[in-house]
Amino acid sequence: MGVPALFRWLSRKYPKIISPVIEDQPSNVDGEEVPVDTTKANPNGEEFDNLYLDMNGIVHPCSHPEDRPPPANEEEMMLAVFEYTNRVVNMVRPRKLLLIAVDGVAPRAKMNQQRSRRFRSAQEAKEKDDDKEEFLKMLKSKNGGVLKEDSAAAIQEKTWDSNVITPGTPFMDILAASLRYWCAYKVNTDPAWENMKVIISDATVPGEGEHKIMEFIRSQRSSPEHDPNTHHVIYGLDADLIMLGLATHEPHFRVLREDVFFQESKGRTCRICGQKGHIAEACKGEAKKKDGEFDEKDRALAKKPFIWLHVSILREYLEAELHVPHQPFRFDLERALDDWVFMCFFVGNDFLPHLPSLDIREDGIDTLIAIWRDNIPVMGGYVTKDGHVDLERAQFILDGLAKQEDAIFRRRRQTEERRDANAKRRKIEDQNRENSRNATSGSYDRNGRRKSPDYSPTPNSAGRGKALDPRVAPPELALFKPSRAPLTKEDKAITHDFVVNRGGVSQANQANKSAAAVLKNQLLGKKDGNSGAVVSTLETDVGDVANRPAAQDAVDGVETPASALGKRKAELMEDDETGNSTPATPESATKNADPDQLPPDDVRLWETGYADRYYENKFKVDPKDIAFRNEVARAYTEGLAWVLLYYFQGCPSWTWYYPYHYAPFAADFVELQKMDIKFEKGRIFKPFEQLMGVLPAASNHAIPEVFRSLMSDEDSDIVHFYPTEFPIDLNGKKFAWQGVALLPFIDEKLLLDAMATKYPLLSAEDAARNEMGRDVLIMSDQHPLYEEIAMNFYSKRQGSPKYKLNPKISGGLAGKVEKNDQYVPQSSLISPLNQGGMPDLPADHSISVHYEMPQSSHVHKSMLLRGVKPAPPTLNHEDIEATKRAAAQSGRSFGGA
Amino acid sequence: MDHFDIQPLARFVTGERASIRRPKEIASFSYDDAHGFHLDERSLRYYYPPTIGADLSKGAATSGALLPHHFLPAVWRHLKPSSFWRHAPGLCPPGFDSFQQLDDTADDHLDSLLKTIIDLESRTGKKCQADLVTWRGMMTKIMATPFDLFNGFEMNATRFQDTIFIEENHAHKLESRHAQHHQVSRAGTASQDLMSYWGYKFETLALIPATWAETSRDYIESREDLVVNNHAQYCSLVRTGIGKSRLVLGGEVDALWDAKPSRADDPINWVELKTAATPLSDRDVLKYERKLLKFWIQSFLLGVPRIIVGFRSKNGILQSLEELETSEIPRLVKQRGKGTWDGNTCIDFTASFLDCVQWYADGIEGLKSTIVGEGVWRIRKREKATVIEVLRIEAS
Ligand SMILES: [Mg+2]
Repeated sequence: MGVPALFRWLSRKYPKIISPVIEDQPSNVDGEEVPVDTTKANPNGEEFDNLYLDMNGIVHPCSHPEDRPPPANEEEMMLAVFEYTNRVVNMVRPRKLLLIAVDGVAPRAKMNQQRSRRFRSAQEAKEKDDDKEEFLKMLKSKNGGVLKEDSAAAIQEKTWDSNVITPGTPFMDILAASLRYWCAYKVNTDPAWENMKVIISDATVPGEGEHKIMEFIRSQRSSPEHDPNTHHVIYGLDADLIMLGLATHEPHFRVLREDVFFQESKGRTCRICGQKGHIAEACKGEAKKKDGEFDEKDRALAKKPFIWLHVSILREYLEAELHVPHQPFRFDLERALDDWVFMCFFVGNDFLPHLPSLDIREDGIDTLIAIWRDNIPVMGGYVTKDGHVDLERAQFILDGLAKQEDAIFRRRRQTEERRDANAKRRKIEDQNRENSRNATSGSYDRNGRRKSPDYSPTPNSAGRGKALDPRVAPPELALFKPSRAPLTKEDKAITHDFVVNRGGVSQANQANKSAAAVLKNQLLGKKDGNSGAVVSTLETDVGDVANRPAAQDAVDGVETPASALGKRKAELMEDDETGNSTPATPESATKNADPDQLPPDDVRLWETGYADRYYENKFKVDPKDIAFRNEVARAYTEGLAWVLLYYFQGCPSWTWYYPYHYAPFAADFVELQKMDIKFEKGRIFKPFEQLMGVLPAASNHAIPEVFRSLMSDEDSDIVHFYPTEFPIDLNGKKFAWQGVALLPFIDEKLLLDAMATKYPLLSAEDAARNEMGRDVLIMSDQHPLYEEIAMNFYSKRQGSPKYKLNPKISGGLAGKVEKNDQYVPQSSLISPLNQGGMPDLPADHSISVHYEMPQSSHVHKSMLLRGVKPAPPTLNHEDIEATKRAAAQSGRSFGGA
Repeated sequence: MDHFDIQPLARFVTGERASIRRPKEIASFSYDDAHGFHLDERSLRYYYPPTIGADLSKGAATSGALLPHHFLPAVWRHLKPSSFWRHAPGLCPPGFDSFQQLDDTADDHLDSLLKTIIDLESRTGKKCQADLVTWRGMMTKIMATPFDLFNGFEMNATRFQDTIFIEENHAHKLESRHAQHHQVSRAGTASQDLMSYWGYKFETLALIPATWAETSRDYIESREDLVVNNHAQYCSLVRTGIGKSRLVLGGEVDALWDAKPSRADDPINWVELKTAATPLSDRDVLKYERKLLKFWIQSFLLGVPRIIVGFRSKNGILQSLEELETSEIPRLVKQRGKGTWDGNTCIDFTASFLDCVQWYADGIEGLKSTIVGEGVWRIRKREKATVIEVLRIEAS
């Protein structure tokens, strides 16, 4: 679940939850690189038992790294995945278990978001390709019709379609095979892997990666032999993994991620040729020069630091924050934490649009917690219990919010107006300054100090918050200064910037359009009204900018952490680039993003009657139809209940989804206690059904050929699911990528019926990819469990086909294993990378079996386990008192409703 | 009649260490809620920590019977609380009969232990070999002797084939309990009865009927309201060894920490539950340390690796929990405590005494013939005495 800006919000409000990862570097002895011995004690001063990889957070960034050219082929891609994974594993040094979870088929509720992202992504890829083509043409014409071959090669390669990172594609098959091979290889060759069990849950196993991990942790907790003091680390990109961490109720839990705020300007690459040292606007289209004999210097640069997010410390903060003095029932931290996670869902999740009055940048979570605290005495208990919502109590929370809604909208408007005024003033000042000193600013703040990432608490986050406004990209960011590009005046070589801007640009706007669009304009001799420059704000050298506090905020404000690697980043990148290129539609984006000339906001949340206008405009229903509003709110309530169960118990329904593009107002929730929410488990989509459900026609290469016509043939019953152009409703936001993609919802029956006609035509090979797969457990013959399993499956006296693991031998791992027919004992290990990137091993000293988590028929309880020993507290008295004070000074008696 | 000198203890301190065998469960049985005997594990319980702050008196707080005994009319004082109210239902205060207290005034001898051994022998077709069969409680008394000269005990022993069976002298047990009830509690302290209620209450608060995963939240959270019932018990029979003696001991175990291991040879993670007053003074600390001697021996004998101590306030509010590793307790006492007792001395004393018991029983040095018959022997230590007497009380 991605909640943009959540990470920033968390790290500001609870600064001590973050600490840097200490990473040993390989040493160099006589020119030989000596790898780090990870059997040695972890340099972070603590040992970890289990490492969970939310693998899409590795695969995505490896497919389009920001610090080096994208991999030339799938083999290179796999090698990049191995390298990155290896680095993460070496950092954590899990002593017991490594679980690699790749996203499998997701619940239907997630599909709408996936669909929206993939449709935008395809659009973006197309525009990138157009850009390149356009650029090549120009290069050619400038060079008298000749184009250097390597230049062409560098540029011409089609943008890799990251949409193939979806279950059911041949790419995911290769990925799964590669991961199985690589883990077996590591188990064979790396002593640190000898005592570790490796579980791979590839894309053929249904469920989102992080939720498969959650299910695993819950399953282990239900095993009586589970060690309650297991130290867990989860790697992933979503800040809300920390909420999943809370939801496990395992207190020794950390989230590991790249330091998104660490940035080196050289790290960024040009999006046209994929090389470093310049940005797209300064691209000369030259072949890459190697840095060092094998480009190893370049690689060394790539190492970005990692950080820990400590769930245990967040628990300490929340214990202070969520304790309401004199509450009429016993304080239960575990229950209070669940309520907190639930409150966070209102502010953003992947399955529901957030409520109009709640925005994380406006401290929406605090607003809700204040209401929650106010209502603790009247509610007489917690809002949630083990993943179930008490609807009567939820009604109290929504009533509390409803009372504040009008005021929130009005306040938002005032803030916006103030910001716009400030922005305008700053712009003028900047221009003046620019003119007077022909500025050459680097990555220095106003005091001239180079800035390092700043996680310190801000005394006045409201004040800082101003810069976070998503609608106003601060002028500093938007300004593209040629002086910052490595292009000198002497350099007469043609650059993208030169072509596009005719070399005479000193200023950029925040144009909401693509480079290609401007290029076209320029070629057609049209004069852009605003200025000659084209800047996709986010293509600007963000790395440089990211070191400046204001710009940092701005970057975050536009939901593009400069280096937010991976899935989220990938999706954000798609978003921002798409945002700059989304075709404007009458009701959506405007070509001119000048703050003065935003599209008319027909809803005007700050003026009375906004609800009428909202429902009329967005839902196209009669403003008098209050029953409809309540119906939307009920659907939304169902959604909240679904999400909560999804987090705490596992997917309650594979088919449920929220059937609207917009959220209701808090005031629309009435009589929730009368609702009786039940979910049907439903049928899990097959991979091809999900592919057809989320991919645009442009990505049809990832779908078996037999289905492709369904996306494009005019007489296909479902062709209307795949529009090539679709409106984006800005919904009060400024950039198209922040808006709502108005794609039609998939009608499951229609989709399945249409696909049914094609299934018989499917090749056997394709059909195999549509089947549900199983988790795989790999371990070394040095592990005590090896013999146990080998005896059971491969000795003369074979045991039962399903073998129940004995946690005393497996090192705590509970579950069942089954023989894996793909595995031949005592054979050799064959590398699936046929270009020789990784070797075969003549004798394979690993074993591979199918793994099945223990199934529990009981609900998972949000409780600590017996025997848990909490870590010594990190927060001091002052931290705790400050947190308590802040909590006590919120809510009803302090200006809340 | 002959006697075994407890002192000088030095001979156990300096002597060679007696070997010990890790206790291993060989069979078990259960008493149900009505104290019915069953050859199964139905009363096996699991541990899940109770809520700190719970009132251990709940369910007993309004009970007159749990007031110090001397508040009761003299005529009732000899009766156990439950029988008191049974005899005077009209006087029964509300909430009192919630405590389902086991009436153990009848002598059960070794019946359950023997039934279980017979069943084991018939199942395995093998004789259960042992030098000594008894309840864990008897061995605890013997083993604590070196550091508990104050208290006394009386046991009866008989020999059948090569095995000596020891049980408590029931009459003596009732007598000493009666005497205890006549002791006037110090002002401001709880009565014996109330304190034993707290112990049972603590168990009710800390136990669940199945593993945590299989127990509902509602059950776990309602434990404070449950009726305290000490009828149900799970008893483990273990084979163990101290010195040259092979022992079969039976005793109640409170709970499992995790689950019974799937391999029979793996040790079982039992949990023993205890309550103690939160020590406030040095004197309290010393008292607790002495208490740890009993905790340790009891758990040591059955191979219980973990003891959970619920510390309570003077008026029975659960204040904190401490998790003790049984094997660590002797070291703890030596290193962090006042060193009021020594675990190795207990073991070596017991090894020596048992061999001595064997010596009498086997009739080596001319006494073997005395016990070969059907006779009953008395093993006795009087209060404050420094010898354990072993005498034949019945010829057949
Ligand atoms: Mg006990």
